[in-house]
Amino acid sequence: MENILELQQVSKAFPSSDFALDQVTFSLPYGAILGVVGENGAGKTTTIDCILNTIPKSGGTIRIFGREMSDADTDIREKIGVVYDGDNFPLYWTANQLSEVMEGLYAQWDRALFRKYLEEFRLPAGQKIKRYSKGMSMKLAIAAALSHHPQLLILDEATSGLDPIMRDEMLDVFLEFVQEEEHSILLSSHITSDLEKVADYIAFIHNGKVIMTASKDDLVYRYAVMRCKESQFLALDPGDILAYRRRDLQTDVLVPDIRNAQRKYRDVVIDHASIEEIMLLLVKGE
Amino acid sequence: MRGLLKNNFYAALSNMKAFSVVMLFFGVFVAAMDNEVPSLLIGYMLLGMVGFSLNSIASLRIESAGKWSKYKLTAPVKRAAIVKSHFLSLLLWLAVGIAFAGIGTALSIALHGFPFDRNTDVFMLFVVGIGISLFTGAIFFPLFYLGGEERNEAFIVVSLLCGIGTVMGLTTLLNALFPSPMNTAQIILAGIIILGCALSAFALSYPLTASIYHKRER
Repeated sequence: MENILELQQVSKAFPSSDFALDQVTFSLPYGAILGVVGENGAGKTTTIDCILNTIPKSGGTIRIFGREMSDADTDIREKIGVVYDGDNFPLYWTANQLSEVMEGLYAQWDRALFRKYLEEFRLPAGQKIKRYSKGMSMKLAIAAALSHHPQLLILDEATSGLDPIMRDEMLDVFLEFVQEEEHSILLSSHITSDLEKVADYIAFIHNGKVIMTASKDDLVYRYAVMRCKESQFLALDPGDILAYRRRDLQTDVLVPDIRNAQRKYRDVVIDHASIEEIMLLLVKGE
Repeated sequence: MRGLLKNNFYAALSNMKAFSVVMLFFGVFVAAMDNEVPSLLIGYMLLGMVGFSLNSIASLRIESAGKWSKYKLTAPVKRAAIVKSHFLSLLLWLAVGIAFAGIGTALSIALHGFPFDRNTDVFMLFVVGIGISLFTGAIFFPLFYLGGEERNEAFIVVSLLCGIGTVMGLTTLLNALFPSPMNTAQIILAGIIILGCALSAFALSYPLTASIYHKRER
């Protein structure tokens, strides 16, 4: 399948910090949602900044629509919608003023579509953004990101700070967006339940490195967590262990194939793994 | 570019409204007062031109709050266009300042007569106001993109002082170059030289600022 976005060994070092992106590699196919999950400070936003060229990368290649994007490639950015966590737009604007500015920035800006989203999301067009709640601000950012008919949405913690009902509403909007097979979404989040609902692929990022990339179906249906006693843990084939974490008398072991584990270790309790549990095992486990 | 200019306009709007009201009242006061001693009129002219320019560059701090300055980079505009929009915005607001200064001066002259020794004095006041504004902008923009928005206020003060200093320095230099007392043609030529230097500095500052912004880590 062709990819709308490809990262190959992307690295980024900061002179004033120990943190660095280290050989980040993943790809996002057309028509899919890729969730990038990781704890705060793992490197999700830095990865997105490199993709969007808001900071220069130190090495590697990033291809969007098959091309490396430079500052001059405004035609590529025309096809990308972006939502950041927090205040995306100046607080002294109204939604109407936002629309006027965006109309001057994006050739494809669709004022009617933006108004439709404002009505759908129940956002007052004449009210200053500083009077909006956090949820309303995020909805406005999502409306703005969708209103210039992008093909690729890049959402950096776009659902954090929203209550579960609003999050669900937004996730429905994202799912509707990827109904078009030319559309894709890169969604970074530390809210793993959101990714479980909508993502097709998940990349786990930790300390600036991608520690695992897999399809969500594989993670949910094939990966598993074995609840081992000490003696059971010691008897495991090391080749089956992806990560483990000791918890009092029990050791949780992440394995990549639930059927294989069930066949080999009949006396061990084996559960399907949630994305959150996989993340915890990969990040906090050994 | 249209979107960027609108963005800059909205960023400056609130301060400009307040400043315009002050200038309006000040202008009425200046026009109403006898202008035998023209210091009030001189102050009004310079404040109009330099004040609108300073408000324009001060708005960079306002629009840099939040993620907007990063968000702008994800829009289909080049970094150079973002920088260019700030230079153009300053020129547009300077034009508003010139208009305020011009109308106030015209009213004062119409009501109370010509207060200066020579006709060229009015021209030279416009030269000084425009010169300070352009030099201030030329120094401020690269500093802003080099040092970051958190030092905005310090950079405005430094740029303004440098702008005033540069115009004063040029004036001193030209006074020394031309024989005293200067005739009308020499004064106009000196004014044109100052304006030319200010415009050149402003024009040269643009590629320098764009280059700094291009290399800057956000």
